[in-house]
Parts: sequence; C-alpha cells; structure tokens
Amino acid sequence: MSNSFVEFRNVSFRYGDDQPWVLKNVSFQIQSDKWVAIIGHNGSGKSTIAKLMNGLLFPQEGEIIVNGLIINEETIWDVRKSVGMVFQNPDNQFVGTTVKDDVAFGLENRGIPREIMIRRIDESLKAVGMSEYINHEPHRLSGGQKQRVAIASVLAISPNLIILDEATAMLDPKGRFDILQVINSVRNQERLMLVTITHDLNEIGYADKVIVMNNGSVWAETTPRALFAKEKDLKQIGLDIPFVAKLAKEFIELGIPINKTPLNHDELLEELWIYHSKM
Amino acid sequence: MDISFKNVSYVYQYNTPFEHRAIEDLSFSVKSGSFVAIIGHTGSGKSTIIQHLNGLIRPTSGSISIGNFNLSASDKPKNLKELRSKVGIVFQYPEHQLFEETVAKDIGFGPKNFGIGDNEIMERIQQACTAVQLPNDLLERSPFDLSGGQMRRVAIAGVLAVNPELLVLDEPTAGLDPRGQQDMMDMFYQLHKQKKLTTILVTHSMEDALKYADHVIILNKGKKYMEGTPTEVFANKDALSKVQLDVPEVIQFLHEFKERFEGEITYSNQSIKQLASELTNQLKGLTNNE
Repeated sequence: MSNSFVEFRNVSFRYGDDQPWVLKNVSFQIQSDKWVAIIGHNGSGKSTIAKLMNGLLFPQEGEIIVNGLIINEETIWDVRKSVGMVFQNPDNQFVGTTVKDDVAFGLENRGIPREIMIRRIDESLKAVGMSEYINHEPHRLSGGQKQRVAIASVLAISPNLIILDEATAMLDPKGRFDILQVINSVRNQERLMLVTITHDLNEIGYADKVIVMNNGSVWAETTPRALFAKEKDLKQIGLDIPFVAKLAKEFIELGIPINKTPLNHDELLEELWIYHSKM
Repeated sequence: MDISFKNVSYVYQYNTPFEHRAIEDLSFSVKSGSFVAIIGHTGSGKSTIIQHLNGLIRPTSGSISIGNFNLSASDKPKNLKELRSKVGIVFQYPEHQLFEETVAKDIGFGPKNFGIGDNEIMERIQQACTAVQLPNDLLERSPFDLSGGQMRRVAIAGVLAVNPELLVLDEPTAGLDPRGQQDMMDMFYQLHKQKKLTTILVTHSMEDALKYADHVIILNKGKKYMEGTPTEVFANKDALSKVQLDVPEVIQFLHEFKERFEGEITYSNQSIKQLASELTNQLKGLTNNE
C-alpha cells in the first residue's frame, strides 16, 4: 500500500441526473503529514471535493479511499472519525449554548467517556487559545474567535485530517492571520494533515502541495513555488499570483537574478540581498 | 449626495443592562461624487454606520445629514421612503436576500416597491443587467439556479435598478475568486464614474481602499481613528498597527525593504513594474555610494 491517506480515483460527480458534471474524472492523492491547498475559480468544484472527502456526498463514478477505506454508506462513520471539517461560516456549525457544550458535541456523539471528554475539551480549547472562553456563548464571540472554537470542536475528536473550506474567508486580515497561526501551532503539536480550500493567495504559500481545479477537472497538481511561476496561465483560469511573485517577475525582467519564485517578502528580500552583496 | 455625521453616537439597547455603545462621538463628511473607504475591525462600528445611512436606525445623540434628509434622536424624517430610494445598500453576501421566482422579478422588486411603472421597470432591469454584466438570457431563470457569482450580480442589479445616488457597499467581494473580486470592484468603480455616484465602500481590504478610494476613514472601537487620502493614511504604518490594522501589502514591502537596505521609496500609486525599477535603482545606487 502507498502511504496516501486520501485517494480520489477517477471521480465524477453531479448534483442531479439532469445537471452538468461538477467533477469530471478527478484523480489525486494526499500523502500523510501534508498540507494541501485546493484552489480554483468559483464553481470549479473545490467545495464538492471537500464534501466527498468525508462522505457528505457520494460520487456517481469512481471511488474515494480515506485511511484505507473506500467511502460508502457503511464506512462513512469510520471515515468521519478521521476527517474533520470546518466551514466558511462558523455560525452554521454551532450547536451548543456554551463553548464547552459545543466542543463536547462531537465527543458525545461518539460516546466518549466523561473524564476523557473533559480532558479533550480542555486540550483542544487550549490549542486554539480559547481556554478562558469555555463558558461563553458561541454566538457572542467575534468572527475569529468563533472560527477558533469551530476548529477546537473538530480537534477534540482527534481527526487525522482537517478540511478547512474557506474557513478564513469571512475574517478580517488579523483574524485570518491568527487562524493560520493557530493551525500552524496545532500542526506542530500533533500529526495532522490539512486540506485548505481557499482564494487567499498568500495562504497557499504555506501549503506543501497545491491542487488547482478548473471547470471540474484537476488543472495542475504542483508546489506553490512552481505554481506562482505561471502567472499567465493562472490568470486565464480566473486566478492570480501573489504580489511578491509579481514583483519578483518584474525584477527578473530588469535583469536581476531571482533564483526561486518567492513565497513571501522575506524570500524576495533575501534574493535582493544576495544580488546586492555580489555587486 | 453630501453626507455629514456630527458627533454621532449610537447605543444598542439603550437604558438596559445590555447597553452597548457601537459608535461614539463620530464626525465625518463625504463629498458628493467621492469614493470613500471605511475600514475597521469587526466590532468597530462599520455596520452601525451603514444602518444609519438609509434610516434603518437613528442616532442616540448627534445628527446626520444625507443630501436634504436629516436624522437625529428627535428628528425622524417623514419621507424615509424617498431617502431609501436614493441610498442603495449592498449588504454582505447580498445573494442571501434573493427570493423571487425569476431573476427579472427579483431585480424589479425594488423599483416596483417605489411605485415605478411597468415599462420603466423593464427598462431599468435591462440597464441594471448591462451594468453588472449579466447576460439577458438569465432573466427568466430562477435566481437559485445560478452560480454564486451570478447570484451576487443579480442582487446588486436589484439595488442599482432603484437608481440610487449613494451606493453603499459592505464587503462586496467576500467569497469571490481573485478574478471575480477584481471584476466586481472594477464594475463598481466604473458605475461610480459613469453615474457620478457617491460611493461608500466598507472593507477589510487595504488593497481595494488604496486602489479605488479618494478618501479613507479608519474606525476603531466606534471612534474615528484616522482619515485622509489613502497614501496619507497608509503612510502611518505604526499608528495603524497600534489598532492591529495592516498597511497594503505593497507599502508593507517597501517598509521591509527600507529596514533591510536603508533605501527609501515612497509609495505614490506606482505600478509593480515601476516599483521594481525604482527598487533596482536604489539597490544599484546604494552600491555605488559604498
């Protein structure tokens, strides 16, 4: 067996028999311990992929294997133990009247004993920096705090994989940055795979791998760095590259050697520094 | 439409234990025909300002004038409906407000409510569709069968069909892909110019504020924190980071460049190409001086 945790094998999906195909013959693998970003224009099939990954939808053609199990009616409950999902709008995801109840919900559903539940609630709220809000009402929290609680609720069930479906889209830049920090720190503490579905170009830079969707097909499967070198192609499918990659391109045209497409400001400044010190 | 806020405060659930002061002693003015960006964190009072602009709420204290209309705690305009026909508000995720059977009916709902005749409504639907670049063959479809981006255009067309003089946009590009975001903002900017609208953009995007606005107002905890032209406001990186706001990425980069190379470039709407060439000259200049 390969060490892929998620595998899509020739998956096609549509929402009804008379509807157009949303996914057309999609195949890819997600390896253990990876952070994968899925990007694409609106309607390219990104969110459908997320919903297929934990059995909220089933494909008409092809198969999806998660953690060694082919997803079907019998396996979905096992699959969902290992795949957690955070949606764009945390308000759609709250069930409890307090933060504590809300995080407890997934654990209760799985019949986890009370002592372990209490420990897991504490641990997961601590991981997202929300311990002091344990008795607050979720609806009175700020957008960023709500999203952190939603992540804690998913962490509590100890999944192997967390899918973030535009989970930072409704937040302001500060909230967005905080959530990314939280995710990074959680990933450093435990083995966790991530799939982030996003339009945020700077967020893609954090991922190990990017899957680019276009009109229901996989358009590219590559690294962020290789992707950001393809400005023209990306623009054609409604996407773009980050500011720092654009600036790097202009430097190259002016004859300044930039050895690798930068993912962030520091990388570009470093390249300029090397050039400057050689002059 | 000229707008002015004079010492406006608004308190939610006034005189109850849940009293919450959303904006406090806020004064600013917006000149007719200008494009103003209002920026602030969640909870800074942006939504409260928006609700004042078409008289959904009235100030707890202070006064507001919007064109010829005046709002204050004691002054309730008799002609609120007229005010609302002149102020178009595009709320966040406006596509959640669609409800009619067909796209045409949904776009026509606003003008119909304001007593516009059927022929005129047809014309306005056409114009609004052209303005938001919505193909005519969608008019008889159900708005719920459209893609997210198309649904949003329908919702915006519904606001435009009322022919507002003031257009208020609350995070209009949230959730769209990068090209969708740019197309949408370019469309609003074009409408702003063509129809000589007064436009207020409420946004988290410093990039959009920099690119489109003539004037920027920064809010913090219900108070005005800064205001000025985008280049003026964004030159104050330290003051902005005190309230945990960033400067646009391009200005951030120039700061980091300065820290590293001690070469200073002021941002004045240069293109990325121009910036690269100015930065290159700086790098070369620095070496020659050594």
